[in-house]
Amino acid sequence: MTAVTGSSWQRISAIARKDAAELARNPGAILPAVAMVAGSLFPAFFVVVGAPMIAGRGLEASGQFSEEARAAVGQIPELAGLSGDGLIQAFLFHQFTLLLLLVPVVGAMALATHSVIGEKQSKALEPLLATPLSTIELLAAKTLTPFVFALALTWIAAALFIGGVWLVSEPGVWRALLGVRTFLMLCVLGPLVELAALQLSVIVSSRANDPRSAQQLTSLLILPITAVFVAQLMGAFIVGPTVLLLGSFGCLLLNAVLLWVGVQVFQRETILMRWK
Amino acid sequence: MNSVMRGALLIADRLTRTFDSRVAVSDLSLSVNAGEIVTLLGPNGAGKTTTMRMLAGLLLPTSGRIAINQIQVSSATADGARRAIGLLTEAPGLWERLTVRLNLLTYARLHGLPDPERQVAAALDLVELSDRAGDLAGKLSKGLKQRLAIARALIHRPPVVLLDEPTSGLDPASARHIRDLILKLREDQRAVLVSTHNLAEAEELSDRIAVLKTRLLALDAPAALRASMAGAKVHIDVEGDAARWSAAAITFGGAAAAAGSRLSVTVPDLSAVPDLVAALVSTGARIVRVAPDQRTLEEVYLELVGAEP
Repeated sequence: MTAVTGSSWQRISAIARKDAAELARNPGAILPAVAMVAGSLFPAFFVVVGAPMIAGRGLEASGQFSEEARAAVGQIPELAGLSGDGLIQAFLFHQFTLLLLLVPVVGAMALATHSVIGEKQSKALEPLLATPLSTIELLAAKTLTPFVFALALTWIAAALFIGGVWLVSEPGVWRALLGVRTFLMLCVLGPLVELAALQLSVIVSSRANDPRSAQQLTSLLILPITAVFVAQLMGAFIVGPTVLLLGSFGCLLLNAVLLWVGVQVFQRETILMRWK
Repeated sequence: MNSVMRGALLIADRLTRTFDSRVAVSDLSLSVNAGEIVTLLGPNGAGKTTTMRMLAGLLLPTSGRIAINQIQVSSATADGARRAIGLLTEAPGLWERLTVRLNLLTYARLHGLPDPERQVAAALDLVELSDRAGDLAGKLSKGLKQRLAIARALIHRPPVVLLDEPTSGLDPASARHIRDLILKLREDQRAVLVSTHNLAEAEELSDRIAVLKTRLLALDAPAALRASMAGAKVHIDVEGDAARWSAAAITFGGAAAAAGSRLSVTVPDLSAVPDLVAALVSTGARIVRVAPDQRTLEEVYLELVGAEP
């Protein structure tokens, strides 16, 4: 027997690298994630830039926007110092940053369901389970690649968003987006929501035979984000740093529960006998 | 565990596995030594795959013990035991979007092999797939996919190799190639357990054959297995009508049938033939020819599994 060594990390990274190579050759898995980037960016620029151009009047002409933007300065300190169209633009762009959270959710969902169901369809799990790879390592490996892919996509979407704002809006508006609120959304809540979406996708995929049916179930996670976004647009409340921190904490708890369920699902015997 | 088992690379000792109330494998004991090929024969649903999975550390037995390369397998040691096992699953289970090379490289990394690229090259060389290293696994023919799956099972050079239906569905040339590979494993002093439905293949490859139908029905060398089942048959050509000597043959053997000048007698084993011939001669028979006719492995197998509910 060839002398074998190899750490847990080596085994996880072996599968993660393999998954990355497979995903790169699977447009069906990547396209929904990339489409979501466009889907998260378009509404903001349409509302803030496109609609006023089509209507032929500036945002300031809407008294309601002006009023809400001024009221929001207390909860989003980054808006202070802006006025007129710039203030309204920054306020609206801030509202739309919430849509960026859909990128990690949809990205994670699309990639993870294809990754797990792909293994099932090709019957590749049994030989994999006959290696020294532990089931916890397999679970970690199956979440690592989609996590990195979807998070990178989220940050690319955020960079495009900020870059777009810099291009089309009043001077200083883009800078107003670089604050604690955006940081919490993209670097704390975003990854936690993504991890929850990933774990849920992996769990659901273990019982599904088709990526699309698995995605339909896991897309339930989109609902709360959309609901908060709509409520915010309607002026019900503003998602400030406190709400984001509370949301992050809730997501942390959800992740702990999903991890427990995931570990139960990722048992060798369960995978062999019940994953059909 | 008996003395024959001790020292074997693969030991199954009184293995039982149930799924809810269904018994898949019952009280199975067998061992495989270095440089030995043992074949598991049995009908569909006989518990062959469950046995393979237990031995590979994928399923824990409900009761009984497994030792792989001197390691007692338990939930705590199963990860370590798996390092000593190469498993070929019933379906090749390849990553079809990846190249042949990347399929193997991932397994080399999973096993933590030093210089994984070199190990991949050696494994490809073993199964004569070096010239297809850059091809996508999904583009390979069924026979080549099976060779790749075997290379994957052997990449870490395990002392124990488990092959679940390695030639199932392959054309004769591909099946021949796989059988040659399996014979090479014996030369390399690996302990090889093969599951198959192909009786001719079992007879050709095996040092011993285990007939399984939930429980172990028989375990022996192919020739011994053929001879052991309710005796062997011998054809004796005599001068004149053979029916005259039937009564004498029946008292000696288990059964006798006469047709023309031929007497066909079932004896406990072939060592009884000289005594039978002597008995017939002593009663006046003039014997022209004696031809032993052992039963085929297929007859033995069908009788064994057919007798089981």
